Amino acid sequence: MAIQIVMDRNGDTRHNFDAEDLNAVSKAERRFNELTGAGFTAAIRTADGDPVVTRTFDPTAEETLFFPRLVGG
Amino acid sequence: MVVRLLGISDDQLWRVLAPCSRWARAFREWYQRPSISEVRGCELLTEWLSAEQFKQYGSYNYFEVIGCHTGNRYRIRHGTGMNVYELDDVGRPRAGWCFVPNDNLVAGDVMLAQKIALETDERAALAVAKNFSPR
Repeated sequence: MAIQIVMDRNGDTRHNFDAEDLNAVSKAERRFNELTGAGFTAAIRTADGDPVVTRTFDPTAEETLFFPRLVGG
Repeated sequence: MVVRLLGISDDQLWRVLAPCSRWARAFREWYQRPSISEVRGCELLTEWLSAEQFKQYGSYNYFEVIGCHTGNRYRIRHGTGMNVYELDDVGRPRAGWCFVPNDNLVAGDVMLAQKIALETDERAALAVAKNFSPR
């Protein structure tokens, strides 16, 4: 199972999907594009645990985290 | 005075006030408890911290990150704003940077977004950040 985690006012919302299921992957890709198109940053973790920002959907990523655009406070 | 006005003894007054005091304390503890959102935010943050950052956060309520472009060290304190400090060579804050996600997020989420931004695209984070004096 892969997971997309979207930060929101409730802490986060998690979307699990089966990376072997083409429909689920397609839906996850659509969600990725919608979120990044809306200004969210998508990040995954390397095997060492270091964060990496990704601009394109990676169907093999086990976990993708989305956070809203950053602004000056 | 109150006792005389009400025509009751100290003991009777205490019997009325003691439960009220307990209820007030219980209410205060309930009101100040971390929300489920805050707990979830902190859990997510700790999943993404390195072992060293996790240790720092547990001990000091802050953790440090290295900016990916300059190699500068930053301290991210628990909070939702004005909580990022650039450190000098001896670990003293020399500048404050304020940048936050443009949604109303809990502290754990805000800190995680700040950590990822500094570790993966420091220049972009500082480009939007507002500078403040750390003192």
